[in-house]
Amino acid sequence: MDFLEFLAKRSDDMVELGLEHAAVVGISVLLAAVIGVTLGVLTYQRQRPRELVLAATGAMLTVPSFALFILLLGVFGLGWTPVVVALTMYGLMPIVRNTVAGLNSVDPAVVESARGMGLTRWQRLLRIELPLAWPVIITGIRVTTLVLLGIAAIGYIVNGPGYGELIFTGLHRVGTPVAVNLVLAGTLGVIILAIVYDLVFYAVRHLTTSRGVR
Amino acid sequence: MMSTATNDDVMIRLEGLTKRYPGQQSNAVDALDLDIRRGEVVVLVGPSGCGKTTTMKMINRIIEPTDGRILLDGEDVTGTDADQLRRRIGYVIQQIGLFPHMTIGENIATVPKLLGWDKPRIAARVDELLTMVGMAPEEYRGRYPKQLSGGQQQRIGVARALGADPAVLLMDEPFGAIDPITRDRLQNELLRLQNEVRKTIVFVTHDIDEAIKLGDRIAILQEGSRIAQYDTPEQILTAPANDFVSDFIGRGASLKRLNLTHVADIELRDWPTVSASTDADTALAQLRSVPESALLVLDAGGRPVRWVGADDLHRAAGRPLDQVGLATNPAVEPRATLSDALNELITARFSVTIVVDDDGEFLGVVDIDQITDAIRDMRASAVSQARAGLQEQT
Ligand SMILES: Nc1ncnc2c1ncn2[C@@H]1O[C@H](COP(=O)(O)OP(=O)(O)OP(=O)(O)O)[C@@H](O)[C@H]1O
Ligand SMILES: [Mg+2]
Repeated sequence: MDFLEFLAKRSDDMVELGLEHAAVVGISVLLAAVIGVTLGVLTYQRQRPRELVLAATGAMLTVPSFALFILLLGVFGLGWTPVVVALTMYGLMPIVRNTVAGLNSVDPAVVESARGMGLTRWQRLLRIELPLAWPVIITGIRVTTLVLLGIAAIGYIVNGPGYGELIFTGLHRVGTPVAVNLVLAGTLGVIILAIVYDLVFYAVRHLTTSRGVR
Repeated sequence: MMSTATNDDVMIRLEGLTKRYPGQQSNAVDALDLDIRRGEVVVLVGPSGCGKTTTMKMINRIIEPTDGRILLDGEDVTGTDADQLRRRIGYVIQQIGLFPHMTIGENIATVPKLLGWDKPRIAARVDELLTMVGMAPEEYRGRYPKQLSGGQQQRIGVARALGADPAVLLMDEPFGAIDPITRDRLQNELLRLQNEVRKTIVFVTHDIDEAIKLGDRIAILQEGSRIAQYDTPEQILTAPANDFVSDFIGRGASLKRLNLTHVADIELRDWPTVSASTDADTALAQLRSVPESALLVLDAGGRPVRWVGADDLHRAAGRPLDQVGLATNPAVEPRATLSDALNELITARFSVTIVVDDDGEFLGVVDIDQITDAIRDMRASAVSQARAGLQEQT
């Protein structure tokens, strides 16, 4: 049975797994973005806390994903929860780093003139600094998304959702003709999701960035 | 030494204002006392590092003073809410700092919006300010800062600072990074603007010529923002208080004084003119009846366009007068300084500078005799002031 026939036969599966995969990554990216941008905003002006946060979120990335999923299994059991937690942890670093870089790259003269005009700290952050740092921040979120799409597949070892199911089933049947098709289908699904997410980010970035800084 | 304001209309009063930066040995600003009157332009000038910027930024508390008091219109604002204070004070910096993600209109609207003005009022104010700085509202209000030249951006910087019509304007070397020609134009515009709006302006520069041109009073500062002299440009040029001031003014003080007199202050000389529609023979007859060697051709709107001499008229061969002769040099307006006029004069034809009004209509000419007369008058008044000082001392 060739690959296309296989896909046609499993198309329902492909769509269902794809939606799950997209959802678990989407939720995790959203959480990572909220937490990461907050951490970035809280620490970008203070060197020690900033270095601490970057080191901590960086360290999370070095934990092998297999190990992390299994460690979280003990706390959160099987299913979506350990996957979302693990992915959120992996997703923090690029977002924190880009938030800090973006905020620090705002022209000091712009910030000073905002102060000089009487914008409060909060108004400066929301109206001036974050909008100007936004293109850099959203790039960090995009990188995170791509990384998480791949790692999410491994979440299947704790019964997580998504294309991991196809890939790990293939792994169990190594040697049989269907094994390669299963792994290929899972991989193809992840790649398609990556392309779709990228297009979405492109559009979001375009729509949310002022023409003045594009 | 310091001339304390004799009238009581003090807008900004600095009392013992002091700033010591953490880890520094000495005060960047050391117990500065300074009164700035309502509606005057005070220029803080002095060598690099003397504390001009620090002094200015303490007025809107971008830098918090270590000691001393700031009084704004009689009110002690040293400990009030800094953000509220800053909304009452316009602020222009050398790096301009327009918000790149906002349109020109939104930039100018910043403070009015913070103060909660309604939309129609803000829109009207934006257009008014754009017009005031000489930029057509329809064309510019929707643009982004990157779509403007440096000079235009600084105009918007000034317009934005005037947004909510603050009584006080702080300007830190606003034209420092701009090419000399544009800088000159922006300085003239600021003077024209100030004539309309009469703000209390604190202007920082390290360029004494800029200080002389713009200042109603100049504070020459030494290290630690210590005042070497605080006086009108005339007094500083004619009676420098000490060697530091003389050195700082540098040579050519008398030439600099030409910056203090404006073309409008002197009597213009007349020059024979002829309308462009006159025929060559009539013009020749007119030229013969005057001592000058050429006639100034004016267009239908009374604007000077050409110089025509006898030769040109002989060779006119029926052409209208605005197509013969030589093009005129750039003219100056009455608010130009004698220095500007002299500058044009040096390269001008027939050794005169043409003066026109706002609409470009011919008013008269300035020649070298008038400029030397003006210099002689200034010197005479300097001498009499110096002698008056002598009498005070005895
Ligand atoms: N943030 C700071 N920390 C420490 N020292 C400072 C700081 N800002 C300024 N200074 C010092 O304070 C003094 C006055 O600086 P200030 O910027 O007010 O000078 P200035 O007269 O504006 O000079 P310039 O013409 O170069 O702009 C200088 O000796 C400077 O080195
Ligand atoms: Mg300075």
